[in-house]
Amino acid sequence: MTNKLLLPNRFKKIGWFILIPAFIAGVILSITGYEANWLQTNVFAIVNNEFFGKTLYFQFVEINITNTAVGVLFLGGAMLVAFSKEKTEDEFIVNIRLTSLLWALLVNNILLLIAFVFIYGTTFFSVMVYNMFTVLIIFILRFNYLLYKNSKTVIDEK
Amino acid sequence: MKNKIKIERAIKNLTQEDLAKKVSVTRQTINAMEANKYVPSTVLALKIAKIFEKPVEEIFILEEAD
Repeated sequence: MTNKLLLPNRFKKIGWFILIPAFIAGVILSITGYEANWLQTNVFAIVNNEFFGKTLYFQFVEINITNTAVGVLFLGGAMLVAFSKEKTEDEFIVNIRLTSLLWALLVNNILLLIAFVFIYGTTFFSVMVYNMFTVLIIFILRFNYLLYKNSKTVIDEK
Repeated sequence: MKNKIKIERAIKNLTQEDLAKKVSVTRQTINAMEANKYVPSTVLALKIAKIFEKPVEEIFILEEAD
């Protein structure tokens, strides 16, 4: 029972080292709205539409990439954590992983549904921003909680 | 599905850890099976039966609800 879609275990540690700082940075950014001057740069954009401006396709645009950088690091780190093998993999772990994924997707969509119905105006924009990351966050929390719970019961029955 | 892993383990004088190593799974897996929280794959059930030198049906038993 090996899963070819998963990375070797060592990537999980690397993932945590990226994810935790990126998470803290993300929280700070969303509170303060800070933009680093040194991250003002030219980037290639498939689509870029300016406020009250025209939409540009496949062009280089000058933009501040603070949010982009933190978002990319966060997603990259979270993906490494979520899609790496455990130290010891077996079919039970595979089972827990898949159940957690299903659970995360379900919970995320219930939360999204609630947000759809009860949140209006510009705040809904931030719901969409957060929702880009919540599936992975909920999955990582649920999966690690179940792993922890199972290792706990083993110790209890010793 | 019920199973007699715990009883068979006692007969063979194996710990959860020993059995886990023999069938190359983690101890949590053996523990979860004994607690009826996890139904093993056919491969794992066959491996366990092989260790206990018994047919699979003697270790894993269907229940009414199955």
